Amino acid sequence: MSLFGHAGRRRRIGPWSGLAAVAMVAFFALPIAYLVSVSFKTPDQVLTGHFLPDAPTLYNWGETFRVIPLVRFLVNSLAVACFSAALTLAIALPATYAMIRLKVGGRFLPAFILATYVAPPVVALIPLFMLLRWLGLLNTVAGLVLVNAVANLPVAFWLLSGFLRRLPPEIDEAAWMDGAGHATVICRIIAPMLTPGLVATGLICGILAYDEFLLASAFSNDEGSRTLPVAIALFQGERLINFGQMAVASLTGIVPVYLIGLFAQRFLIGGLTAGSIKG
Amino acid sequence: MASPATPADRGLPGAMPGRSRLVPWLLAAPLLVGLAVFALYPFLDILALSLSKSSLGRPFQHWPILANFLSLARSEEFHAALLRTTIFAVPVSLAELVLGLGIALLLHSSLREARWVHSLILLPLMTPPMMVAVAWKLILAPVGGLLNGVLLGWGLADSPVSFLGTMPAAFLSIAVADTWQWTPFIAILAYAALQVLPDEVFEAARVDGASPAKMFWYVTLPMLAPTLLAIFLLRVVMAFKLFDLVYGLTFGGPGFSTTVASFKIWRTALQEFDVGLAASQTLVFAVLVSLVTLPITWLHRRSEEWAG
Repeated sequence: MSLFGHAGRRRRIGPWSGLAAVAMVAFFALPIAYLVSVSFKTPDQVLTGHFLPDAPTLYNWGETFRVIPLVRFLVNSLAVACFSAALTLAIALPATYAMIRLKVGGRFLPAFILATYVAPPVVALIPLFMLLRWLGLLNTVAGLVLVNAVANLPVAFWLLSGFLRRLPPEIDEAAWMDGAGHATVICRIIAPMLTPGLVATGLICGILAYDEFLLASAFSNDEGSRTLPVAIALFQGERLINFGQMAVASLTGIVPVYLIGLFAQRFLIGGLTAGSIKG
Repeated sequence: MASPATPADRGLPGAMPGRSRLVPWLLAAPLLVGLAVFALYPFLDILALSLSKSSLGRPFQHWPILANFLSLARSEEFHAALLRTTIFAVPVSLAELVLGLGIALLLHSSLREARWVHSLILLPLMTPPMMVAVAWKLILAPVGGLLNGVLLGWGLADSPVSFLGTMPAAFLSIAVADTWQWTPFIAILAYAALQVLPDEVFEAARVDGASPAKMFWYVTLPMLAPTLLAIFLLRVVMAFKLFDLVYGLTFGGPGFSTTVASFKIWRTALQEFDVGLAASQTLVFAVLVSLVTLPITWLHRRSEEWAG
């Protein structure tokens, strides 16, 4: 059974399809495969430009963790991802329920929320910088959590409304009949039934926060709150030639998201397709 | 209430709670506050900043009202950045759409069982863009880069090629890295759309003796059109935000030849500290994004009508 949820018989692959499949796999695997390969090369071996290391070494792996506080940056990144995703969900779930089921804001509000997504984040850079400075949250993980949580609200609303529309409204109506309040309906009925949707939305918002660079680079300027993408951008500027260490630092940042990708693939694909496919 | 069938309207006891409009608004309130902070406040602030002389440390020094916009109207560098962003966003998104659809068809027809391929194409999508930039930088580097290693090793080049330091190679390099990252996104969405197409239509076409090519052009593509246009719209919007790959791969160079709008605005604000000018650039850029995406939105609406 494929994770894409179909059940069909195996078909013969023609030569052109086979060629296209091989080209596709090579294209998508190549950059990551080379990153892994370079992480095991000494600077001398890097210069050869060969695909595989001539004599693989673990030197870069030890050295990079010694030279830069990668663990600190990784912890910062993970903290920003987890806490901001949780905050995004906590804000977006009741609001989505209110807008989709209780028709708060009519048709205008949902459209307006999606429209805000069109604006590039650089738009909010200067005003948010000043706001965070005023709140004393520049250079703090808390500041980045707050900014990412708010920035991902339109995405969360879009995904959650896709999931919520698939639940029959009779369920909430039955609960109302039993005298349940809105808060009870959301916590006891909607949230449990939306679990796959909440997991998918949380993962996607978490990954977006984990990957975010522009705002993080502007709002955190010390090691205490620096996230991995920002650290890698700075590292790259400082030590241009040290490809092996750059590869190690990048892979360290990639591994956590890839693990999520492998183990939560079903949720992720469900989440990615929730908003766009009307089923 | 919109639905006439709610228990409250039927006058049942223990009917829908909070007949007052207050509770639903309270549920939405945190999101509205968030939106006000992230969308409304920045918009008003940008509007005010664009009309003022402001630096990062000292905003609103004086109000030369239209001076920023007049200087933008004369700035060829800024016009070039806007044009560059559009030239990037639309064709690259289109290329990704075509490639992504191709991959979706391939997955649908031949690779349904190959679970590991499905996992593999999810990975570029999840890689943080800054790490995508590093990975491609290692491939494209003049010294120690994989591509140059291959070109020199096979005698296809006499000396190392500086892919990121020359035009148009630098621009194309960013496009390739972007394609690597985002084509899987389109492939996954298009694949999901293919899965829900009704089988009967294909059966009917097959009975009529339609060739695979005809089937694609006259059956599959028209039915997918609304979804594909929606995905295209989303991708164009995202491509206009391009920043990380430029920062990581070329830092806007060589010269200013890969300086896209987001990067230009960022430089004006955080490198040159002219926040007022950056704010006016932001407003002009936002208008451009709307103008470019409007026709796609219109097409999408029309295609939904055609598709019924």
